[in-house]
Order: sequence, then structure tokens, then C-alpha cells
Amino acid sequence: MASLKAIRRRIASVKSTQQITRAMKLVAAARLRRAQEALVASRPYSHALARVADSLLTSEGINVAPPEDAAKAALIVVIASDRGLCGGYNSNLLRAAEECRRAAEREGLSVGYFAVGKKALDHFRRTRAPISAQSVDNLPRLGTIGLARKIAARMLSDFQSGAVSEASIVYTQFKSAISQRPVFERLLPVARPERPAGAPAAVPIDYLVEPSRAELVPVVLRSYLEAAVFNALLQAEASEQGARMTAMDSATSNAIDMIASYTLEMNRARQAQITRELMDIVGGAEALRG
Amino acid sequence: MATTFALQLVTPTGVVFEGEVEEVTVTGPLGQFGVLAEHINFISSLVPCALEVKRSGGAVQTWVVSGGIAEVKDGAMTVLASGAETPASIDRAAAEADEREAGEKIAAMSTFEPEYAATLDALMLARARAAASGTSRASH
Repeated sequence: MASLKAIRRRIASVKSTQQITRAMKLVAAARLRRAQEALVASRPYSHALARVADSLLTSEGINVAPPEDAAKAALIVVIASDRGLCGGYNSNLLRAAEECRRAAEREGLSVGYFAVGKKALDHFRRTRAPISAQSVDNLPRLGTIGLARKIAARMLSDFQSGAVSEASIVYTQFKSAISQRPVFERLLPVARPERPAGAPAAVPIDYLVEPSRAELVPVVLRSYLEAAVFNALLQAEASEQGARMTAMDSATSNAIDMIASYTLEMNRARQAQITRELMDIVGGAEALRG
Repeated sequence: MATTFALQLVTPTGVVFEGEVEEVTVTGPLGQFGVLAEHINFISSLVPCALEVKRSGGAVQTWVVSGGIAEVKDGAMTVLASGAETPASIDRAAAEADEREAGEKIAAMSTFEPEYAATLDALMLARARAAASGTSRASH
């Protein structure tokens, strides 16, 4: 049995770990709330944009296909976190990224990753995966419109120059604080909005369009892409904080369990020591009397 | 006859303004235009500009929007801006410095360079910001 002093030292160390994990849990909870608020605030914009894009992209046959001579390649944007200590968040996401890559390779496309977050970059470097672009240390917040704009611009310029024939994004969908699911979505070429079977086709609205449809469509496309990327970033941010909160919560309760079992062990060791000392005293007294 | 119409100004980070207005003035690629009640269904892209809203009663509110899309549909107007800020939140000196910098950059560029359009956008935004911060300063 470990000595009393060693056990005391171990309890102190677990206690300080517990303090850290508890603090991290509180921070993650606060950030999660902020990310959720941002997610809710971004909804009116995406809804209004989807309405405009829908009526514009369906009203006339516009060209959303890549250039004829586009390289058979795909750009995959992977949104992971910069920091660890968030449970299986990154490993689940990176597994989805590999899956997305295999799906693209089955179609005969060569793949380049756009790694967002240090954890994605480290992983791709380790596995020697092709990295076309990167963005790490996006502190303090991942979900910013500036970053979304940067990613969308890269996707669009690669697509329009014919460097890639499609672009996808892999991120973690935020369902609730305790449930997140990694997903991948193809953003380019733009999929025509699907109509539920049996639903009447939307009546195209007659719009006066300025300056012209041909000039307006790229603007709508860019905004649409930016909004989609921004949404993915916000979901990823919320998921990361949710995963961290859950991980830190279980770490804190593990620490509590460890402290309880060490305390029990410590009390036993102390009792054993007291008994041993008593035996010594009694033994000594007996010896003197004899 | 309806003299006011519904305006919604939204950005990716939230709804900036929602309410009944008399007139909206913004700038598209073909120049400045105004929207009154009972406008025809209409879509236009927007360049970085000052968006002026005249509310019923004559009060005028301004935002600087950094490009986007304006839509009028069935008498209601939606402005999808990639960003919107109030003139009071703009630092005039910084905006003027940005304007000078973008102006110098664009003077050294040929129109065929791929970054020309983005730089022109930056210049227009800086110009709109500097001008708007000036008007708000003057009115105080």
C-alpha cells in the first residue's frame, strides 16, 4: 500500500486537475451559448438568401457547371478545432473527411484538402495527405464571417479557374449540446434545389433584374456559398464547445470518483498506521512490565 | 394608397433592421436608386454604399453596407448585406486612411489583374465609410 504522504500528494494533484476541468467546462458552456446565439442570428439571412437564390436559379437555365476543361479534382474543406480536450470530436470528424476523400476518389477525382484548425492540419501532415490550403489558430472564434469569406473565395476561384471540378465541406453538425454528427456536403457545383415529390413547382416570379441576370448570378452564388460556409463554421464551433463541455464534465466526475477512492485509501492507510503505532506502544508497555 | 412598405435589412450575423419605411436609397452597379412603396418586383446586386432609410415621420437612418443583394417582392423589400454598420461606429480617421491606401493600390493596378475587382470593392467601401462617418459627425 502506498504511503500516506504519497496518497495525499495524489489527492492534491487530482483536485487541481478537477479544478481545471471544471473551469474548462464552464468556459465551454459559455462559448457554446454564444455560438448557439450566433447560429440563430444567422438564420434570417440564410432563409432570405435561399429564397432569392431559389427564385433566381430556377427561373432561368443558368450555367452552374464547372468549365469544360476542368481538372478532375476536388477541394475538400475540413473544419476541425485548434485545440484538443474535446473528446472524440476531431477523430470523428477526420474519419468523415477520409470517407469524403474515398467517395471522391471512387469517382476518379484527385483530392486536395483545405485544412481549417490545427487538429486537421496536424492529422493531414501525419498521414501525408495532400493539403491545398490551410487556416489555423482561428482564435478566439472560428465562426466569423471573415473566415467564411476567405474559404468561399478560395472554393469559388478554384472552381471557376477549372483547378477543381467540385468542392465539398466536412464539418460537425450541431444537433444539441450532447449530440453532434460529422457530415459532408458538396457545395459546388451548386445542386438544384430539390422539390419534395408531389409539391407544386414554384411559380417563377417575374423580376426586374439589375444589372442583368448574367451579372447577378455570380453575386448570388458567392453570397450563397459564403452563407453556407459561415453556417458550417458556426455549427462546427457550437459542436466543438458542446463536445468539450461533455468531455470536461465527465473528466470532472471522474476526478470526483478518483478523489473519493483515494480518500478511502488514505483513511485506511491512516488507520493502519494508528493501529501499528498503538501496537508498538502496547508492546513496549508489556515489555517494560515484564 | 400605401405610403410605407416593409423593409428587412439582414446580415449573416443577424437582423439589423426590420420595420415600415417610406423610402430606401441604395447604390447598385448602375448607380444610386430609390425604392418607394408599391415598387415592381425587382432584384439588384449592391455595391458597398450608404443605405439610407426614411422612416414615416421623416427621420432618416443610415447604415454602411459592404455589398450584397436587394430584393423587392410583393411590396416588401429585403436587403441582404454581407455587412452593415452604423456611421457612429465608424472611426473616421481609420476609414480615411483605408480610403487613401485602397486608392493608391488601385492606381498602381491594371484592370485586368484578378484582384482588381476586390480592390475596387475595398475602395468603394472605404469611401462610403469615410463619407458616412463625416455626415454623422457634422450633424452632432
